[in-house]
Amino acid sequence: MSDTSRSRLHDNRYARQQIISSIGDAGQERLANARIAILGVGALGTHIADTLARAGVGSIRLIDRDVPELSNLQRQVLFDTDDVYNGIPKAAAAADRLARVNPDIRIETEIADINPTNVERLIEGVDLILDGSDNFELRYLLNDAAVKHRTPWIYGGAISTHGMTMTIRPEATPCLRCVFPDSPAPGDALTCDTAGVLSPAVAMVAAVQSTEAIKYLTGNLDALHGSLVMIDVWSLHMRSVELGHPEPECPACGARSFEFLDRQAPRQTTELCGSDSVQVLVHPAPQLSLDSLAKRLAAVGEVSHNPYLLRFQVNGYQMTVFPDGRAIVKGTTDSAEARTLYARYVGM
Amino acid sequence: MIYLDNAATSWPKPELVYETLGSFLRHSGANPGRSGHRMAVSAAGTIDRTRARLAALFNAPAPERVIFTLNATDALNFALKGVLSAGDHAVSTMMEHNSVRRPLRAMEAQGVATTKVPANPEGFVSPDDIREALRPNTQLIALTHASNVNGALQPIADVAEIARDHGALLLVDGAQTAGTVQIDMAHLGIDLLAIPGHKALMGPPGTGALLLGDRVDLDELNTVREGGTGGNSEEDTQPRELPARYEAGTHNTVGIAALGAALDVLSDIGFDEAGQHELDMTFRLIEGLVGQEGVNVLNPNDTSRHVAVVSITVDGWEPAEFGATLDSAFDIACRTGLHCAPEACQALGAFPLGTIRLSPGYWTTPDEIDQAVHAVRELARAPLGMTT
Repeated sequence: MSDTSRSRLHDNRYARQQIISSIGDAGQERLANARIAILGVGALGTHIADTLARAGVGSIRLIDRDVPELSNLQRQVLFDTDDVYNGIPKAAAAADRLARVNPDIRIETEIADINPTNVERLIEGVDLILDGSDNFELRYLLNDAAVKHRTPWIYGGAISTHGMTMTIRPEATPCLRCVFPDSPAPGDALTCDTAGVLSPAVAMVAAVQSTEAIKYLTGNLDALHGSLVMIDVWSLHMRSVELGHPEPECPACGARSFEFLDRQAPRQTTELCGSDSVQVLVHPAPQLSLDSLAKRLAAVGEVSHNPYLLRFQVNGYQMTVFPDGRAIVKGTTDSAEARTLYARYVGM
Repeated sequence: MIYLDNAATSWPKPELVYETLGSFLRHSGANPGRSGHRMAVSAAGTIDRTRARLAALFNAPAPERVIFTLNATDALNFALKGVLSAGDHAVSTMMEHNSVRRPLRAMEAQGVATTKVPANPEGFVSPDDIREALRPNTQLIALTHASNVNGALQPIADVAEIARDHGALLLVDGAQTAGTVQIDMAHLGIDLLAIPGHKALMGPPGTGALLLGDRVDLDELNTVREGGTGGNSEEDTQPRELPARYEAGTHNTVGIAALGAALDVLSDIGFDEAGQHELDMTFRLIEGLVGQEGVNVLNPNDTSRHVAVVSITVDGWEPAEFGATLDSAFDIACRTGLHCAPEACQALGAFPLGTIRLSPGYWTTPDEIDQAVHAVRELARAPLGMTT
């Protein structure tokens, strides 16, 4: 391809969105200069990355430690069956795909477990963070890091047929902890692995998050929806609660106390001697109902329980969960993997 | 919390240990033997006092033959790497902790040959097997005094005689016995004794010692690390004087001072009384568990031949799950798994999952033992079925 034809291609790549007056040439230029990070390159993360790479966001950092699994392909758009069989990490597989979608932007990959020790480094230097995570432990950590560094972030979550999103601009809008002061206790929150998730529900939430990102990055701050938005794609019910002002009493953005960031590890893991397993310990210890957890997990794998513990088998792993929230994950000696499995099946 | 993990480290520590840690650091925290000012001299005095007490307690030939180390593992490394060189042969046993097993394995690569003697299903090693394993170039026999898995006390005196007859040295790992079983180095014939300060001796973590008997020829003993000792600074070789020869770098003065305080407390209690209390609690625990449906006690039958370490397995339970249940539902702290001694677990028929280890200490009460017995019995009645 000659240079002239490539440049013509470039001229045309964003033509259809540049025509929109709120974006225009200036907005497109701002997008080209923008740097974002996407935390979690799963269902929401791949939809958002795909949309924003095509929209011409100049620099995109993809952060994820996992490799794609067959059951991800139903909703995680940047991966194919080969990626699953080749065991290519999600961030790398997505980057490869996006580089072909739009060679004019910069894609960085971080194949890393996101935790209190590295989250600040991972979000360093970006204008905006997009939440593609699948658990609340990570979101509260992200909220702390984003509020601390005054970096805006867009929360999104989807499960079953519905989802939620809100845009957080530290000090201008309420943060996650202003709205939900405490993270749900382990075992209380539904997870995609126990409750399932419909792909269009993900697409709907990701579309709202991506639109908010484009509005923010092009300087259309007045157009941000300013709400906690809840959408059910099945019933097509939508509800939005206006957010108002930051909560002065908020521990994170009010008192600037970053408990999730400062906490050494909200879930401590210990490799257990000789048993190919990792123990996950939760602080503070919740009171978990093994009965209700058993009901939720019954759809996914083989479950048995007594008053002291619940044992659950799935995909070659065995998880033993105790009423104080601790779990022994058998089948791995990798503590990050154990925490991921915990987040998936016990949830937080 | 009911703390039954004293074989890992004793807890709680005597009040005087906590106080000494704070007050020593505040008032006597100078570097001993490095300066002449009064605080440095006082720090050196405290270390020497602890050294002398340890020498007396274990009947070592002289205080300077007590070398302070980080812990028993450090002492064992010191002994193994100090005594053995390429071309030597060493005998150890299946009952050894990784603190002996791993250094020896590493030294094989440097030309040290090793032989591992088996143990019977009660965890005992036979002196005859050790004798048969000897070779002309056997320099060292390394033997644990008591198993950290099931408490089995090894026949140290018999093995010492074999070592002596052969002209080899005997290294004893006293991790589970120092402070709870009387150890007279001279009487038993122990040449090198490795001890932790933080287990039955009730000192803080980061303390331990290697005690050298008089058969250890200092000219034959390699230094393992070299560095400053406070004296002979003009020389670029390690001084020959003990203990400086083996104590390069600044001491854990505060820990050693607190270990000295722990020895004071233990001496007030009476070492025999303290050891007897631990054994009483151990026997109470074993009595409550032996014969219970589904509970398998892995300790030796002869109660005179084991220390305050009890290992069990429970039918239908994986040890790790059992331990987590004891902690979460009964607030009982124990240790599960292989206890860093996989071959000992093999000998006891508890491999690869290991055991549930309950280890009483001086502060354990009869009531706590009864609660532990009750908890184990209750869980033994509620197995979820093994799925391995």
